[in-house]
Order: sequence, then C-alpha cells, then structure tokens
Amino acid sequence: MLFYRRNFKSWIRIAVVMGIAGLAGLVVEHGLAAQDQSAATAAPESQVFTPAHPTVWSAVQEFFNYRPQPVQPIQFTHKVHLANGLQCVMCHVGVDQGPDARIPSDNFCMTCHRVIATDKPEIKKLTAYFNRGEDVPWQRVYGFLPSAHVKFNHAPHIRAGVDCSKCHGDMTKQTVAVRAVDHTMGFCIECHQQRNVSVDCVTCHY
Amino acid sequence: MERRDFLKISALSGAAAALDACGNPEHQLIRFIPEEDLTPGIATWKPSVCTLCPAGCGMLVRVMQGDAEVVRKGQLGLLKMGLAKKLEGNPAHPVNEGKLCPRGQAGLQVTYHPDRIRTPLVRSGPRGSGQFKEVTWDEATKQLAGQLSALASGKQQDRLAMVVPPLRGVKKSLLGAFAAALKAPAPVEFAFLDGGVVAAADAASFGPAEPPTADLGHSNYVLSFGADFLGTWNSPVAQSLAYGRMRAGRPGKRGKLVHFEPRISLTAGNADEWIPCRPGTEGALALSLCHVILRDKLAPAADAGHAGTLIEGWAQGLPDFDPEKAEQQTGVPAATIVRIAHEAATHQPAVALAGDSATAHTSGLFNALAVNALNALLGSAGKPGGILFTPAWTPSLGKTAEKSQAGGTLPALVKRIQSGPDAVKALLLFGANPVFAAPAAMQVREALEKVPFIASFGSFIDETSILADVILPDHSPLESWLDDAPVSGTARTVAKVAAPAMEPVHNTRGTPDVLLDVAHQLGGEAATALPWKSYDEALKAAFAPLQHEKGSVSATDPDEFWSKVREQGGWWSAEEKSLPVGGGKGSGVAATAAAPAFDGGADAYAFHLLPFATQMQYDGSLAHLPWMQEAPDPLSTVMWGSWVELNPATAKKLGIEQGNLVEVASQHGSVRAPALLAPGIAPDVVAMPVGQGHESFTRYASERGANPIAILAPMTVTGTDALAWAATRVKVARVGEGKIILFGARLHEMPEDVKHR
Amino acid sequence: MVIDLDRCTGCEACVVACHAENNIATVGEDQAARARAMHWIRVERYYEGEFPNVKTKFMPVPCQQCGAAPCEPVCPTFASYHTIEGLNGQVYNRCIGTRYCANACPYNTRFFNFYNPVWDKPLDLQLNPDVSVRSEGIMEKCTFCVQRIKAGEVQAAAEKRLVKDGEIQPACVQSCPTQAMVFGDLSDPESEASRLARSNRATRLLDELGTFPKVTYLQRGSWHDNENA
Repeated sequence: MLFYRRNFKSWIRIAVVMGIAGLAGLVVEHGLAAQDQSAATAAPESQVFTPAHPTVWSAVQEFFNYRPQPVQPIQFTHKVHLANGLQCVMCHVGVDQGPDARIPSDNFCMTCHRVIATDKPEIKKLTAYFNRGEDVPWQRVYGFLPSAHVKFNHAPHIRAGVDCSKCHGDMTKQTVAVRAVDHTMGFCIECHQQRNVSVDCVTCHY
Repeated sequence: MERRDFLKISALSGAAAALDACGNPEHQLIRFIPEEDLTPGIATWKPSVCTLCPAGCGMLVRVMQGDAEVVRKGQLGLLKMGLAKKLEGNPAHPVNEGKLCPRGQAGLQVTYHPDRIRTPLVRSGPRGSGQFKEVTWDEATKQLAGQLSALASGKQQDRLAMVVPPLRGVKKSLLGAFAAALKAPAPVEFAFLDGGVVAAADAASFGPAEPPTADLGHSNYVLSFGADFLGTWNSPVAQSLAYGRMRAGRPGKRGKLVHFEPRISLTAGNADEWIPCRPGTEGALALSLCHVILRDKLAPAADAGHAGTLIEGWAQGLPDFDPEKAEQQTGVPAATIVRIAHEAATHQPAVALAGDSATAHTSGLFNALAVNALNALLGSAGKPGGILFTPAWTPSLGKTAEKSQAGGTLPALVKRIQSGPDAVKALLLFGANPVFAAPAAMQVREALEKVPFIASFGSFIDETSILADVILPDHSPLESWLDDAPVSGTARTVAKVAAPAMEPVHNTRGTPDVLLDVAHQLGGEAATALPWKSYDEALKAAFAPLQHEKGSVSATDPDEFWSKVREQGGWWSAEEKSLPVGGGKGSGVAATAAAPAFDGGADAYAFHLLPFATQMQYDGSLAHLPWMQEAPDPLSTVMWGSWVELNPATAKKLGIEQGNLVEVASQHGSVRAPALLAPGIAPDVVAMPVGQGHESFTRYASERGANPIAILAPMTVTGTDALAWAATRVKVARVGEGKIILFGARLHEMPEDVKHR
Repeated sequence: MVIDLDRCTGCEACVVACHAENNIATVGEDQAARARAMHWIRVERYYEGEFPNVKTKFMPVPCQQCGAAPCEPVCPTFASYHTIEGLNGQVYNRCIGTRYCANACPYNTRFFNFYNPVWDKPLDLQLNPDVSVRSEGIMEKCTFCVQRIKAGEVQAAAEKRLVKDGEIQPACVQSCPTQAMVFGDLSDPESEASRLARSNRATRLLDELGTFPKVTYLQRGSWHDNENA
C-alpha cells in the first residue's frame, strides 16, 4: 500500500499513526532506560554503534525527509574568502583525489588568521576554539542519509569537469554553506543521463 | 541477543545520540584539533607486524581518517585521526607474501575491543575480585618503580620474576637487558603452544635449535606427523602458500600429503590420506617407515648422518620397528606402512614434519627425533623440497643484554614462589596468561596469589592479570613500535620493524617505553644499561649493523637505512640460505623411549584426551574477538562455544547424542561441554578445542565453553621441560541436555559436480 | 571468479576478510543459534565414509553471481537485479525485506538482517567507510566487493587506461593463503580467470539448475594426476 500515490488525507492519517507510535516508542524507551539506570549512570555516552534510528521521532523526520538547515558555530563566510582569490581546493583538499573533501582544521585556518582579521568577532571565536585545543564543531550540510545506502566519490566528478557549483550552489554568494541544491536521486540521474554515464544502481548503491 | 536487550540498547543509544536527521553527533562532544591533517576517504597502507602467533607475518594496515571518541587531558571528545580499517598481508614480505590467516586479520579487533584496558589501574578490592580504580600514569609507574627500588635497596633483586610470552628480536633483548640491569633473573617464557620440543630435537639431530622451514612448494611427498601446518602449527600462512604450490603450482606435478594423527585436523582434512595412529606412537611409525626404506635398500643407513645414529639400532636397520611390530604398536596396517615408505622414497623430494600432539606426548622428543631421522634418510634435511633452517637474526643491545641469565620454566617459577614466604616479592606479567593456559594441577593461580606485588602490562583483564595489583596497559600492536625476527616460513634471514600504524585510542603506553622510563627513574646501573630515551631509538640502534649486510635495503647513511627499513616493514637477506645440518649435538636415544606414558589408568580412564588449538581461537588468546567467535570452526562448524569431539560409535556405546552435555574427567578435574559426533576421530580418543572456557576474558569470551587445559596432568615431555599436553587419559559420561551452535553445511550434501574425481 | 578446490584448505581466511571488508555484523550467540549468522562467503565442509576411511572436503561458497539468477525475478521491488557488468546486484534502499530472494537462492548465500546490527564501541571504528552499513529488514549478500571493483574502475579511468587483469581483487581473493581464488573478467577470454574456467577440472555448482553461475570450481586433483605417480 505504501507504494501508491497518496492524497493529502492519507498523509495526515499516516502522520497521526506514526506520531502515536512515536510517543508509544518514547514511553517504552524511557521505561526501559529507567529500569537500567545503573548502566545509564555508569555510561552516559552511548555504548554501541547501530544504524538504528536513535529515536522514533528521528525515524519520522527521516520518513518525511525533514532536515533543518544546520546552524554553524561560526559564521564562516565563503563569499569573502572566494572574493579574496582563494580557490575551493585550497581548503577542501583531496576533493580531486578521492571520495571526500577535507574540512580544514583550526590549525589550517590559523595559518592565516593568526595575523589576518584578528579583531573580527567570528575570528575571535575561532581563536578561542584554537586556544582551548578544540576544533570548530562544523555541522554537516550535505551528505546522504545512512538509509540511502549510497556512496559518492568527488574525484571522478571533478575530473569529468563538473563544476562545484552544480551541486553546491554559487558559493561566491553564500556565507556559511547552506543546502542550496537538493541532492535527490533524480538530480543525480538527470546529470548522469545527460553526460551519458552509467545509471546502473550499483554505480552508487553498495 | 534477545529482543529485550536489543530494545534496551536502542533505548540507551537513543538517550544519548543526536536527534537531528543527519544523525551527526558533533554537537554533543567537543572536537579536538587533529594532530595531522589527513584527507578523508583516501586510504594509506602502513607496514606492520602480526604479533598474534609466533609465525611473525608482515602486514599492511589500511589507515583512513575517522572520528574516534578519545580522552585527552581528562576530557572526552572526538578526534579526527588515522584509523586502522583492515589488515592484509604485506606482498613484499618473504614469510607471508601478501597473505594473512583469519586470526591475523581479526587482529584489528584487538585495538578496538570494547573491553580493552583504557587507562592504568590499581587494585581496589580483594585480589582476584576484578575491582580496580583508575589512576594516572605517574602514579602507576611510581608504584612500580617504588617496588623495584625497594627490592634493590634490600639487595633482593633475585626475588623479582617476570613472565613473558615467547619473544624474539629486539623486544626479547630489551626485556633481557632490563632484567640484567636490575640484577633480576631473566624473564620466564610461557605459552601453551611452544615449539620447544621441535627446536630441541632439531638441535640434537641437525644443530640449529629452531623450528624448520618446510619447503613444501618443491616437495612431491609430504608426511605430516600430527603437525597441523595448514591451521595453527609453526608458520601457517607460509606453509599454506607452499601447500598451494605443492598442489597446483607446477604443471603436471601434484604433491601428495599423508597425515598421521588420531583425529582429523584441518591439515588431515586436506590430506590425500589420513592415517589414524595410536596417540603418541608417531615416532615408532616414522622409524617403521625408515625400517622399510633401509630393509628394501631404497636408501643406505649412512645417508641419515648424525640424525640417524641418534636412534638406537639404526645401523642394524631398526629391528625393533619392523612393520608387523609397528602395526601392533601404532594400529596402522603393516601393508600401509610398507606402501607409504616406498611411495615416499621413490617420490623425492619428500619431507616429513612433526608437531602439535605428536610432540606433546611423553614420547614427544623421541617422536621428533625419529621424524628428523626419517627426513635425513629421505635426503631432505637442508635441501630444497625438504626442511630448511633459516639463519636467525639475533639483535644485540650491548653487553648487559648478553649477560642476562636463563629464566627457567613456569613450573620452576611456581616452585620458587612456593619455596617460602616472600621467595618472590614482585612479579611482572607481560601479556602471558599462565593461569588459563597451564593445567590447574600446576597451581599457578595459588602460587601467584602468594606474590605480594604483581604488575601486569597486558591489554585485557584475563585470568592472570585479574590478580595484578597494578596494571600498566600496553598499546595495542597497531599502536606500537613492533619488531620481530621469525625463524621459520622463509629461508631468508628476516628482521622486521614497524612504526605505529595509528595513534593510540586509549590512555595507554608502550611497555618498552614504560620499562625504559622506570629504568631511568631507578637511576644508577639500570639507567646506564638502558640509555635510550624511547624504544624506537633502541630499535634503530639494534638495526644499524644490518646496513652493511646484503639485503633488501641499500642505503648510504644510517638515517636513510632506518627510514627505508621502516617503509618496507623490515629488512631481509638477499639470498635464501639454509644453515648446515651436520652439526647435531644429541647423543643416543633408546628405542624403548618410543612408548608413550599416560596419566590415568586405562580401566578407569578409558579415553585419550586430545586437546587441540583451533583455527579461530588459537590457544585461547584470541577467544575475546567477536569475529573469531562467530567464524565457524572449519571442521566442526561450531560457533560461540566449545565441544567434545567423539567418534559416533563411541558415543553410541556411551548413550551420548549430538549436543548432549558430557563430562570429561581426568584424575585432575573435570569439564563439561556439548558432544559433537564426528567420523574423523579414533574411537578411543576424545578431542577438545583449547581456547574457550575463560573465567574472565572480556564480555565475548568469559564463561563460554570449557577449558580442557585445566584438567591436564602436569606431565612433561621426556628429556625436556615442555608440558606433555596430550598425555592425559579421561573418562566421559553424559550428564544431561546441552546446546551446541553449528553453522553446518548449507547445501546439506556435497553437490555431485564438485566431488573428487 | 575461479576457486581451485585443490588448493583450498578450508582455513576461512576469506570468511574473516569478508567480514572486515564488508561491515558484516556479528549477530551474537543467540541469533547464530537460530542460523542467522551472516557469512557472505562460507566454507562448506563434507565428510564422506566412516572411521578410519574418512574423506574431508572443503568448498568455499560465495554468491555465485548467476547469469540466470533465481533471486532476481522474485523480487517485488527490483532490489535484486542484474547489473550491466553481470553481477547480481542488491540495492539495499529498495529492499523491503520480503525474503523471497533468499527462498529462491539454491546456494543459500543471502542473509537477512532480522535486527539492526550493533557494534560495541569502539568496535565501530573498524567499519569500512567504502561500504554501507545495512540495517534491520534488509537482505544482503556477497557483492564480489563491488566497492573494490568501482574503485579500480575509477582509478583506471583517472589514469586513462583499461582495468588490468588481476588488478581488482575482492577481499577473499586477496587474503587467500593458498592462492586458491582468482578473480577476473570472464568476458575477456585472455584473463587468468577465463583461462582457468576453461580448465578440464572446471565445474560449476548445481549447474543442472540452469543458473549459469559465474563462480567456477576447479575440482580437486588426485595423486594419480601426477605424471610421476
């Protein structure tokens, strides 16, 4: 039944059912957590890794593809850096070599910001992090959900001449990165078809 | 896991994990500044050394950036660091040529084990209770140094003892030098499976006191006496590689493998002929083969050289071992003995190997000497296609190391401890687990409980380290500087070294560095004898002389040499070479030594107990790895447990069905495990895997299965100090229903189209 | 893929290599007892005969990547499908867990996640970032290490060349201590795998079912094959 097109009413019905299920799940979880308090106090952090949704609520969020824009700890401005002549790959090293691009660490930022613009409030935040020995806890902007079971490799896309802005939007207009482009499967497939590259499932899903 | 537990776990994780849709936990834990900027998603391969068994294979570690929860300066946080993701063999390495056994590959889980000791501990409850409290490294090392300097000021250094697993290379030299600098007795080496008997026999027959390198790849005929050389014996990966070449590596030639043992091991399962013989009579069998070869003039007696003359009656053609007499003693039909002898003698190069249970009877040394004589007679000692003896690399760390005295054996240490109050005042444990791996009758636990101070350097709380007063946890092998000098598996001299493949995950310290630190704290002679600031300096010094030898690394200056050696994962000699085999030093052995003795009368204890190392858990030191628990044993297909292997006919007689709980009792105790009926075991033998039955060894291995070592008789192999672990007789009885988890064969019967032709 | 049963010793190095490479969950004692242990490649062991004339045989069984795979047509969501390169693909995000494919597979090489897998921390640090972690309700199976195949293809494309024979090795093939397994392109008649697949020892598992498996087994030899025997 899940595979038929729905009208608005049936979405509401599903939302209500899932909401109730979510509440019930939370109650059950809290009950069990309370029973197992000794374990909980001894280990405040999660002791296991699992692909399970941490809460029913998060499963509901994922089901409806609800992803709020991330709030970054520092209002990093891509706009200014690019306007000053920096290139994407200068900071996002490795994007043309492998699957992922590097998010620079404090050390990297501080190579310039020890001397440049040290009086700006956001740079002061950076310096404070650096002095505490902490890395800036940047929040992930893009990235696929684990349940999409999809693997993306930047390097072949760069080599094929796909412009960064194709998937990340025009960074010369953004301060902190925002989710400018919706990375749906349709978005990927469209480009793959235009460029006559494989649209076989296992090209990306494994 | 029960559904209930599962719910609990998901609830626990739910309580803490992030709620946003990305599931990113970034905003809860602080992030530390990474120590190095790695590019995510790109793997680098770093050389390392496998330390899980004495084979000493070379590894490559796949290192990728990842987020690890670590504690730095007392605070929990996330650190982007290089993490080992997979272990593979190092293709350049002469021992394992890019291959790795299942145990070696599971070494990854040692580093990431959830029950690894994460920080130094001091005992806070009664000894053995497992109650410890966390302390800083300064406190822990101060405690250790305090104990050692108290011994020194009281001139009681001889009351210090150290127990180590069998070591090689610079680590052995360093521990020896440490003991010598402290004027303490040398470390006592202990492992359940050690190659001591084979090495002693080789020294007597041929000269080199080391296990042989079997050049199976060039053999046409392989005779294996108990040695599970494809599974756990000696250097399994090197031997497996050579076995593959022996079978299918030479067009038109296919070597034959004949295996003698009362039970089908992994090697026996791959043999063209598995010939069960009575336990402990392998030597008589080998000499009977010699008898036929001599009688039928397939080779002259003089060919065997010193290895032959060791055996009483050799010059007379071994009259005590004619096939008919041998049939009575060994249970192998005389006609089979004659046939095998002829096949072996006419299909040279032929090679014979003895190991495992064949060398763990009271007649073990005799068996090994007899097999050596057979090898010599077949002309395969020191020849291609036979057994070779690799020139070993023995590093030197200066004069102090050479001065170190012999450490003695574990039974001797137990005796020493029990000889009087405070005979041993302090004991240092370096990862060995004698409480588990020595028979209960040896009373190791009782002895250790009498030692006033025990320090352990192990990474896990096991049966032995639970008795410790202070635990100074070592890095995992992947986090450590490693070195090794394997003597088997290749005819090249090998000296291996590897820098840490990754930064430590926990608050641990490399044991060699701790020892250097303690020596410097003690000052005086200890500090001058161990001048290096850290272990890698000592390694560099030990490797320096190799620069001028002909080998895999050529360099003009010491620094270049050292960096190239590290890059390659070690140094090995340019040419393959076997040590000469004419230097045997042994004197004659009486033919009567061929008869094995057993603990327990045949009337009351009707069965021979055959403990065996398993493919996954080895001697028990790997039972704590979940991959090793869930990978089915290749022969029994048992997962997550142990078993008692019985012949179906025996089981029927005793009224035992598959899976029934049975009790196996010797004169020294009893253990219980489920029955497994297998056709590949002699009716008068019961076999039990070694490895399970831990009382305390992490969440995965504790209270699981049974430990047959516990009920073994403390008998030794005649002529050596080695434990004769196959010399115990037992009785077997059904005690109730049991549970056995079998992976089984999923195709139920072997499909016709891939059967033997 | 070609598996030489004359070389295979049943040591299970391939089994552990597969677990390490493919993020296969450890299901634990209770689930293992219910035959839910997941081994994408397993070693079948057969005994023949009775004491003392017992023969033991080992046979590693990965997914046979059938040419006419029984698992594919039964899938209602097209999660199991035939890839362009000829693998039996399993698309996890399409899978809804009907388990029809596992019922249809005559080789028993498909495994179902009855629960969400769990790694006790920090064991999760061993997870391979190149392979997705499957969750509850998903069927999984051997992929011939498709992540390694893709990486090999990307690498070759970056260097503007074709993939070389033997360049790509699944984890099991890489680890095999006796070199019993060979992986290569069967559509290239010159590849080592193709050459071995034409050997007179070559057979395919349950070939009579018409599944056209892409794994070729080389039968065990006997001593009498030896020209000196």
